[in-house]
Amino acid sequence: MKRFLTLTAIGALLAAPAMADTLRVGLATAQTGGLATYDSPVIDGVHIAVDEINAAGGIGGTTMIELIEKDVRSDAAQTSIAAQELVDAGVSVLVLPCDADPSLAAIGIVSSAQIPAISTCASSPTLPMIGGDYMFANFPGDNVQATVSAAWAREQGHDSTYIIYSPDSQYTTMPLYFAEVFEKSGGTVLGQDTHSIGQQDFSAIATRIASLEDQPDVIMTSAYEPDFPSMLKALRAAGVTSQIIGSDGIDSPTTFSLGDAGEGVVFTTAGHALDGNPLAEFNTKFEAATGNKSETVFNAVGYDLIKVVEAAVLVTEGSTDPQKIRDAIANLEGIQGATSTITYKGTNGMPVRQVALIQVKGGEREYLGSPSPDAAMIPAPRMQ
Amino acid sequence: MELFLQQTANALALGGTYALLALGLAVVFSIMGLINFAHGELMTIAGYVLMYCGIASVPFVIAVPLAITASVLAAVAMERIAFRPVRNGSGATMLVTSFAVAMILQVLFQNLISARSQPVLLPALLSDSVRVFGLVIGVNKLAAIASTIVMLVFLDWFMKHQKTGVAMRAAAEDFAVARLMGIRANTVIAGAFALSGLLAGVAAVLWVSQRASVDPLMGFMPVLKAFIAAILGGLGSLRGAVAGGFLLGFIEIYLAAFLPPEMQEFRDPIGLGIVVLVLLIRPNGLIPSATLKAEKV
Repeated sequence: MKRFLTLTAIGALLAAPAMADTLRVGLATAQTGGLATYDSPVIDGVHIAVDEINAAGGIGGTTMIELIEKDVRSDAAQTSIAAQELVDAGVSVLVLPCDADPSLAAIGIVSSAQIPAISTCASSPTLPMIGGDYMFANFPGDNVQATVSAAWAREQGHDSTYIIYSPDSQYTTMPLYFAEVFEKSGGTVLGQDTHSIGQQDFSAIATRIASLEDQPDVIMTSAYEPDFPSMLKALRAAGVTSQIIGSDGIDSPTTFSLGDAGEGVVFTTAGHALDGNPLAEFNTKFEAATGNKSETVFNAVGYDLIKVVEAAVLVTEGSTDPQKIRDAIANLEGIQGATSTITYKGTNGMPVRQVALIQVKGGEREYLGSPSPDAAMIPAPRMQ
Repeated sequence: MELFLQQTANALALGGTYALLALGLAVVFSIMGLINFAHGELMTIAGYVLMYCGIASVPFVIAVPLAITASVLAAVAMERIAFRPVRNGSGATMLVTSFAVAMILQVLFQNLISARSQPVLLPALLSDSVRVFGLVIGVNKLAAIASTIVMLVFLDWFMKHQKTGVAMRAAAEDFAVARLMGIRANTVIAGAFALSGLLAGVAAVLWVSQRASVDPLMGFMPVLKAFIAAILGGLGSLRGAVAGGFLLGFIEIYLAAFLPPEMQEFRDPIGLGIVVLVLLIRPNGLIPSATLKAEKV
């Protein structure tokens, strides 16, 4: 009898994991290379959410999440290879890098395998347009960010702008959206310049702007590290005093350590921690889990991503069928993430999320608000 | 006119930085026939030293010599560990070794420091600008021009009046004969690497003071520019490297400054097109080295 009991107990233990379903999530993200600045904090946030959910017994108390991680080295070709490997490993959800271009490299694999793919933090609204039904973004769109920052600039009484953009990637063309909204709301665009990603020297552009007869009230760019600090310092050194507006790409510690040159810079990002709001709660969790303070909102964006997956699996009642999960994600409404509420219903995969406006003040972030953009002003996605 | 002078000052500063970078490559190439693609990683090392000094609140005036020293030491160690065992290998062996060294260092930076870029705290003075003869020039531009001049004068003196420098020139001309005259190969080669480390360190301080951050892959872009400049000037020729660096700086700045707005998107291809054009006219570079000749067939 005793032996029978022992055997039953062992049998029950062995059977237990088989009964609870496991959701396999494949992470094909950039843990090294240029995009690591964004993807690596996002994945830190992903881990916090997954650990939290698994510690509570899985999604809905039944479905455990298993992460399979691949580093794509910020490379488009490597992204598609990793995506294929993960599809072969039987994942139900794929997570792709923080830029539309490498994410799009995996799109053929994603579509033919019919597995939902979510980019960690790509913000180009063209991503789900090109990517089709299985491609989702996890960040406020470039056109929405630009609408919020342009509206803010106009409210501040800024009448003229100059934009500096790079045709090298979808994301770095955000200033074109900004110019469109700025003009539509009665402002004038004095001119534009292009740069290339990784360009070290911005002195020629800075000198040209400094020599303009009418100095622009606002200069808008979506350049990010290491280009943004170089550009900003070159502009300030050339004597340009215009308000600088950037975007989420500069939501990193470097921007806050630039001293006088960085003072007053305004940028749009995914959220801001206020006492007791979900982002502040997340930051507390992050510190408890890692021992470090969260330095960027991208940690919380990773948490959001898993919250979206969790909500979708709750809708499918624990099913890990990729097609069911895709349909569930596409119909999610008002999911509470760490940075914002997230809605996919009624969109093409570009979520409706809040955009926070942040200003650099004395090396710290000052919250300017999270204004809702005027839907009529949001420019249509632009193919670059 | 004022705009033109202003842009010329920008070109001088950028060209000077490129000249220092190209010189670093040329010093080693002239002696060993090796293009050291790990030269950029020496800059990254100097950049990380600046970063850690910033975190430890070490004053910038001390951080700069520390960073340059680190780069010199790393260059010497690189020669001793990686390049000495393959010194008698073919050019291709040494080239591949240099790529391997670069990659290994990048992976070490990624795993031991961080894959993400790290902010470097810089004195506010470097972001200021001063008026010189009616031109507004950034302090870091002035620093770039001044350090280029100092380094070039130092290098000229070192090569002409220092024993090691003279030995290096002799070795560059004909290593075998130089050794027969009693010049020690190890000293000359280690000296060349130390010198290239010094140049990389100075260039790194100038480079990082513009971008205010360091990341594991930051060495790639400068070494690429240095390579273009060194080829443009004439591979293996030190004067050529300086000329190539300045010419590349001038091409980049003048194109960015004076190309019509609708053409700006094609600035980089046009710039490289000009480089190719120069090489078509002078296939051995602007100031070719006396010993290396590419033949036109």
